[in-house]
Amino acid sequence: MSIELQYTVKQRALRQEVREWLQTNVPKTPLASYDTAEGFEAHRQWERTLHSGRWSMVTWPEKFGGRGLDLIEWLIFEEEYYRADAPGRVNQNGVFLFGPTLMEYGTDEQKARFLPRLASGEDIWAQVWSEPQAGSDLAALRSTAIRDGDHYVVNGHKIWSTRAVFADWGFALFRTDPASERHRGLSYIVFPLDTPGVRVRGIPQLDGEAGFAEIFFEDARIPVTNLIGTEGQGWSIAMATAGFERGLMLRSPARFQRTAQRLVELARRAQSDADPGLLASVTQCWMDAEAYALSTYMTASHLMSGGSIGAEASLNKVFWSELDLNMHRAAVSLLGARAELRDRLGESAQEDLREAMRWMDGFLFSLAGPIYAGANEIQRNIIAERVLGMPKV
Amino acid sequence: MQFTFDEDQRLAAQSLRDLLDDLCTGADLRRAAESRDAASFKAACATRRERIKELGFDAALVPEAQGGLGLRPVDLVLLAEEAGRAALPEPLVETAGVALPLLASLAALDPRADAVLQAAIGGAGIALRWPDSDLVVGIDTSDFVLTADSETSLALYSVDQFELVARESVDPLRRLTQLRARAVEPIAVSRDASIPSLWREARRYAAVFDAAQLIGLADRMNVLAVAYSLERKQFGKAIGANQAVKHQLANVQIKIEFARPVVYSAAGSLGGGLSPPTDMDARWLEARVAHAAIAARDAADLAARTAIQVHGAMGYSWELDLQFYAKRSWALSGLHGGRSAHFRSLHEALMQQRIELGPDQLFGRSLPRGA
Repeated sequence: MSIELQYTVKQRALRQEVREWLQTNVPKTPLASYDTAEGFEAHRQWERTLHSGRWSMVTWPEKFGGRGLDLIEWLIFEEEYYRADAPGRVNQNGVFLFGPTLMEYGTDEQKARFLPRLASGEDIWAQVWSEPQAGSDLAALRSTAIRDGDHYVVNGHKIWSTRAVFADWGFALFRTDPASERHRGLSYIVFPLDTPGVRVRGIPQLDGEAGFAEIFFEDARIPVTNLIGTEGQGWSIAMATAGFERGLMLRSPARFQRTAQRLVELARRAQSDADPGLLASVTQCWMDAEAYALSTYMTASHLMSGGSIGAEASLNKVFWSELDLNMHRAAVSLLGARAELRDRLGESAQEDLREAMRWMDGFLFSLAGPIYAGANEIQRNIIAERVLGMPKV
Repeated sequence: MQFTFDEDQRLAAQSLRDLLDDLCTGADLRRAAESRDAASFKAACATRRERIKELGFDAALVPEAQGGLGLRPVDLVLLAEEAGRAALPEPLVETAGVALPLLASLAALDPRADAVLQAAIGGAGIALRWPDSDLVVGIDTSDFVLTADSETSLALYSVDQFELVARESVDPLRRLTQLRARAVEPIAVSRDASIPSLWREARRYAAVFDAAQLIGLADRMNVLAVAYSLERKQFGKAIGANQAVKHQLANVQIKIEFARPVVYSAAGSLGGGLSPPTDMDARWLEARVAHAAIAARDAADLAARTAIQVHGAMGYSWELDLQFYAKRSWALSGLHGGRSAHFRSLHEALMQQRIELGPDQLFGRSLPRGA
């Protein structure tokens, strides 16, 4: 079938169903930040609510608590989710990164053990990859997991683990062969963050909240049943996860379309005072958000008709992260002096001050986009080398 | 909802690409560009022109009832991209994408145009002069001219009813002619109430097919730049091993890849019986078409600048074939008011609330009205 840019009756019905459920269930007042203890639990409760409506893992198979939706249906779900301003997904790393990885590489026993608890929000997951000396150059990691009977004994130091302060489980890369180098001898191992010998220390982010953490391992014992895939397969499994992260699932286009909508609405209200160049940058942002969404629909159709994606995922990551930053920069500029106010007084004050705080929070967070999930400099190297065929340095 | 091309569409594009890989190389373009006069230019392009006619794409968008193939605009968009990729001198896209569908519309209103439509399907050349311009492209291979003095009428003339003045384009492969009208009767003419909307539709088609050509041009320029960066060595290594060069070419690829879906979706929203049913849908379509025009221009602009820079001093020389692709992109970018006009119309639509916003509005209305 050729290009057909109209939704089917079934797709429209799904949209209607999602819209109605969200209208009834989305909390009327925004939840506190999930990087606070109180906000984290409120968001966990929201995951339970989503699960009760079977909306937490819509693309997963029904036997794991999902609805088996295809990618276009997933996009429709996400559009409605962001349209309703539903809470952020505290279990995002589990939903979009660990879950898909486990479905591809896990044993049946592991899937039964982890996926239902993930789907219901009982376990919230954190990614545990980077080390102080291994960031962009992840293959330089040195933390070890040495086999001792039915356990691995883990030692080392991980850092920049998002959500790890309050999360329950981590998925990690360790060196199971201490003599190995680079990407060989690595294994993908999961562990409860309260394992004896594991110490989590929150690191305040730019916004002051402990949104990420460093993790110290001192002879922590992790059962070998927590190994995903085989020993030494860790790098290729991790790269599959990185593909999900940079690619389709981690940043659904609706998120940016919703921000672009709010930005255009802000610009409409401010247009009599704002300079034309700033207003033009708002229109450019709106176009880019649309382009990202259209690109995702095209990729989804391509995948559904049997295609695959590889290094092209790096194009996405650069595009959405810079789009997000540009949208928030434009909003902060439009707000002028109002953007600065961040006190608690503001929270209970009038609506427009709350909106201004939301933009500043978003601006601070958007600065992380070009860094996490592989810095954009690395992504551009990947595009040049694997998409365009240019030489490695 | 399906946003991929089908096998027939890919095969048609591939057949054109294969033909142009053979008959529209850099050397072919140079031979035409350096020809001394119109006759030798025409001779340099004769074989290719015949072979393209044989592919039969000219009548693609003409309804079957009028002897055409009855295809949709989206069936032509990949062909337009290929024409751009090769900097094809012949106005294949202008003829098949705009002039013939417009002629078919005229023939439906004034039967006197039908004989010319049938001649055009059989290979006669049709040039198009927009109401707000006195320039036409490719008159030396045309027999008829479709035109109007304003967008309230549409008329068909024979080429010899005009006085022709040759003009030069920055693009040595774009054969421009200024038409000076003589006081003569057209072969066919209509002032039907539907004419303004036909012109608007023709402008949308032209904008989308030009955008597709610009995508092809941008892609070709980046391919040339990448190839040169691998070949050219300085400081003992290929210049393409430097991150400063890699990142620039990666940026071009990003621009191209995020312009492509916009252009394809604009093409997928044109014509084919999907004439916008409400004002809101018409504005949505105008916005999508403007977006396609802007995104493709931005991709081609960045590709041209970057490719010239990566080629260094070579990039500034006549000797390099890159110039043909860059100059075509500059010529196309200025048409129909250029980026500025498209941006302004889109910007005003956004700021004055003429289009609906939100994640569910990507393809226009996602639920029936009132839902």
